[in-house]
Amino acid sequence: MTLEEFVTKFAEEFDETPIEEFTATTKFKDLEEWGSLTALSIIAMVDEEFETQLTGNDLRNSITIEDVYNIIKEKQN
Amino acid sequence: MDKFSLKGKTILITGASSGLGKATAIECSNAGASLVITGRNEERLKDTFNKIHNTDNKYIVSDIANEDEIDKLAESCSVIDGVVLCAGVNKTIPIKHINSKEINSLFCVNTIADILLIQKIIKTKKIKNNGSIVLISSIATSFAAKGNALYAASKGALESFSKGLALELSNKRIRCNCIRPGVILTKMAIGNYASYDLTQEEQRYPLGYGEPIDIAMGAVYLLSDASKWITGTTLTIDGGRTLI
Repeated sequence: MTLEEFVTKFAEEFDETPIEEFTATTKFKDLEEWGSLTALSIIAMVDEEFETQLTGNDLRNSITIEDVYNIIKEKQN
Repeated sequence: MDKFSLKGKTILITGASSGLGKATAIECSNAGASLVITGRNEERLKDTFNKIHNTDNKYIVSDIANEDEIDKLAESCSVIDGVVLCAGVNKTIPIKHINSKEINSLFCVNTIADILLIQKIIKTKKIKNNGSIVLISSIATSFAAKGNALYAASKGALESFSKGLALELSNKRIRCNCIRPGVILTKMAIGNYASYDLTQEEQRYPLGYGEPIDIAMGAVYLLSDASKWITGTTLTIDGGRTLI
């Protein structure tokens, strides 16, 4: 999955935030809709799409969507 | 005679290779019981086996997600005085991500396996009159957390089942009760709370997080003759979590 596709998948986990607001450099924790449920949804999406277990710490250590993408890629290697 | 003792009783424990099941095996053994322990992983099951000391204990490697293996387990199990069903799985899944595969995998182990094993034990008369069945539920059944609906449902089904079970077995004076644990720091809980800040969650526990032994001692009580008039109930052991 490319970074661009991942950004779209990431955006799909949000119900209120318009998709245009999401880019690779979006600081997702600054979004109003970010919270425990969106975090759990991202973890579930990554599990489904990449068969990779993302942790709460991985999200805490990420600032942008690209950071999350890089962590997943690192875990897959 | 010490009413809290399990001396002379044979107890079957599922999920005994780790976590609550392992601690329950050790404490039942300390209380004098002979044990039949079962779990998926032979190496870890042996580790539990080496920590229990009665000479007539036995272990049976079994994956209760598979019905054939439940059949074999019920067949090879000795006649028992009690059973503690500790095998369980958990996965945090927000509603939007639920699918039939996830439903099946959670319900298969947490609900269906327990019901089938109990059915087979009763049908083959492997449990003595005056016996005791202990099911491990969760505070999740009545205490919601985001991403935990499916797990809660699987345990809730088990709790409801236990009521009917308690009633049907009352003529044999076989008792059936559930334990509702709060968060115990087992490998399963740590995996499940990967998305949470465990330290922050612990602040919501007036007595802090529990240890496996806290649940094991509740199981020993429900297996012992000290609880001979208790059936169809749930014992919450959660360090006060559901107070607030």
